[in-house]
Amino acid sequence: MAVSWGKPWVVWLALGALPVGGTIGTGSQSLSATVYPVGSITVPASAALTTSATKFQPFTGSVTLSYRARTSPGGGGNVTLSVTSDFAPPGGPSVAAGALAYTCSGSTLGTACSGAQTASTTLQTPVLALPAAACTGGGGACSGQNPNSVNLSFILADDPGYATGVYSARVTFTISAT
Amino acid sequence: MHRYVLVVVCALLALAGLASAQNTTLLTVAIGPEAALSVTTSTTPLATTSTTFGNPFTGTTTMNYLIRTSKSNGTGTITVQITADFSGAGGPSVGNPPSTGDALIYTCAVSAPGTPCSGTQTAATKTATAVGSFGAGASSTKAGNAASVAWSLTDDPAYAVGTYAATATFTISAA
Repeated sequence: MAVSWGKPWVVWLALGALPVGGTIGTGSQSLSATVYPVGSITVPASAALTTSATKFQPFTGSVTLSYRARTSPGGGGNVTLSVTSDFAPPGGPSVAAGALAYTCSGSTLGTACSGAQTASTTLQTPVLALPAAACTGGGGACSGQNPNSVNLSFILADDPGYATGVYSARVTFTISAT
Repeated sequence: MHRYVLVVVCALLALAGLASAQNTTLLTVAIGPEAALSVTTSTTPLATTSTTFGNPFTGTTTMNYLIRTSKSNGTGTITVQITADFSGAGGPSVGNPPSTGDALIYTCAVSAPGTPCSGTQTAATKTATAVGSFGAGASSTKAGNAASVAWSLTDDPAYAVGTYAATATFTISAA
């Protein structure tokens, strides 16, 4: 089919614009965003457990977790802890033997764990429970803090049977939201 | 086509249902030599059954110790020193006994991993004397181990009648 270049409006239409003084069309586009439950968590790369001046009292240390969360109206969420690598090298404390416990406090969103929790290498133990329709930041129905935080205080038994040395364990925190 | 749509919808629902994230921290602890001691008999009476100066005054002080010494080249000790001599004039004295040969002596019992002092030791006011010793890599139980000192105080006729008290201070150390 031959194009008739004798009709200028056809050229302008083909280029996607009209000359000044032409007709301008309007239209609308429906935009929608589906917001899903989300969680993120940040912790210090390391934390030292130190002893007190009193002999054979537990080693203690604290960690502040920073987290952001959004849960659905019918959902909820939690933060859990698991020791994914027990204290090494051998001869020192053992999480598997129940040597490590912790308490939670100062949660700015959700409910921190209650009482002393015994850390586990096989179970995920509670740190925090997030309610339904929870959200980080923004005020209003959401938490005013961004990010949110919760403090963990670790308590490691000081057993005379531990050989002297430096020991490390890897703790993994998981945040889940629905 | 409908099958593919269904798969996509299911995947989206799965994503919408649960979100999770993880992060880790490394807990580090430095465990060094450590020792603690608790005297379980806060007052030890020294008594004699003799009325003819035939036997010394005797009594036993018991204690509980916890210890951890270094794996290599570690050592530990338990010592005792009379930090307050018998009070009251005319009675026994560790620092200045009224008669030659008067003494507060003792023998030791220290459960493993400790080694008790050897033979009979003479207590002193100016120096700490041995009760027990530990080698490298020594560790007590979590509840602690037992040790004791059996005292023997000369019954000198020169002592005036009365009640006298001295303070014995036990020290445990670990390296």
